[in-house]
Amino acid sequence: MLLKLANSKKILFFGGKGGVGKTTVSAATAAACADSGAKVLLVSTDPAHNLGHLFDRNIGGTPTRISAGLDALELDPQETVNVHLKEISSSLHKLMPTNLYSEVDKHIALAKDAPGMHEAAILERMADVVEDGLRDYDKIIFDTAPSGHTARLMVLPEVMSAWTEGLIKRREKADRFAEFVRELGEDTSMQDKTIGNADDSEQERESQIRQILLRRRHKFTHLRERIADSDMTSFVIVLAAERLPVLETIELHQQLKQASISVDCLVVNKRAPTDSGEFLKERQEQEEIHLATLAKTLTSLPRQDIFLRPHDIVGLAAVESMAGQLT
Amino acid sequence: MTQKEKESLLKRIEKGLHEYYVAPYRRSFARAQRDEDDLFMLLVFAENMGVPNPAAYYTLELLPLVYDRFHEWHKRMGMERSPLDHIGCC
Repeated sequence: MLLKLANSKKILFFGGKGGVGKTTVSAATAAACADSGAKVLLVSTDPAHNLGHLFDRNIGGTPTRISAGLDALELDPQETVNVHLKEISSSLHKLMPTNLYSEVDKHIALAKDAPGMHEAAILERMADVVEDGLRDYDKIIFDTAPSGHTARLMVLPEVMSAWTEGLIKRREKADRFAEFVRELGEDTSMQDKTIGNADDSEQERESQIRQILLRRRHKFTHLRERIADSDMTSFVIVLAAERLPVLETIELHQQLKQASISVDCLVVNKRAPTDSGEFLKERQEQEEIHLATLAKTLTSLPRQDIFLRPHDIVGLAAVESMAGQLT
Repeated sequence: MTQKEKESLLKRIEKGLHEYYVAPYRRSFARAQRDEDDLFMLLVFAENMGVPNPAAYYTLELLPLVYDRFHEWHKRMGMERSPLDHIGCC
């Protein structure tokens, strides 16, 4: 079920409540796809990265080879923010007299912890990974942060492209006015215009602003198109058969639907086995009650169950053995 | 008056008339453009002015392109001193 879905899509997202096993399930799916011959990139967008813990090795901000056909990557928002701000501050330095450098740096330092910074940085890296990744890999699998965070991340491309779109429209309007002014000859009555005079350096500046905005818009629309394309992308919600994860799954499904992202599979992780004693059998009966609630709301969604195991899943071998359980 | 002088006089009158009709339009377009530019500045500096800006991360990269006009802008907006503590332009 899950494997069939994974094999038919290019981009897969795994999301759900914290602690249900998103990382393990997404890694197992990635391992299974790699095993069947695909080149897979496994990407963690959760700032509290777990891929390294799962594979028991260091995985950083650049793709790291896990096995033949499987690379893993942990997006690092802090690092992305730092690089981004450093670029801005160095281009500001070029414009400023030396005695104002410290003012510029103060401004930039304040921006570092501004709300939304990390979110935007993760979005930026996600857009890059989707755009570049599909050139080098057959499949990209995202292991995302817990539900709320991810639901927000999925609507962000839309919000951001609307925002850049607005800015571009404003620039176009200003440009049109500037064009009129140029056609009507020189105007000396307004020397103190903010941006845009007829001279070359102003036109150069204007075209740079426009280029930056257009590049942004391209990134967001590209990402949004890929995410919303249900032939290419699918979202898998991972949950445990307990009350809270079930309720959160229903909610997440609703939020994703609003963002027109197609959810095509539910993975119920850590199911209690029926053949391992009275206690677990009773637990299994309780789980069925919760799953019935789930089935009532999300009627047509296929479900993949994964059974609880006596030992932790750590390292490639354990992940691969779990991958064997997937159908 | 020679032929040449006549021509240049006509040219000058033509230029003057052209200017007479065109200048008001040009001025209003220039003003409209300046208003757009001022609004754009406001959007770029929104976060710093306490207006939440969902795209602060992205407007920051426009900063180098508009920074040197910041002083003129805040003066025109009626703020005698720089409204941002950390931009000490004046």
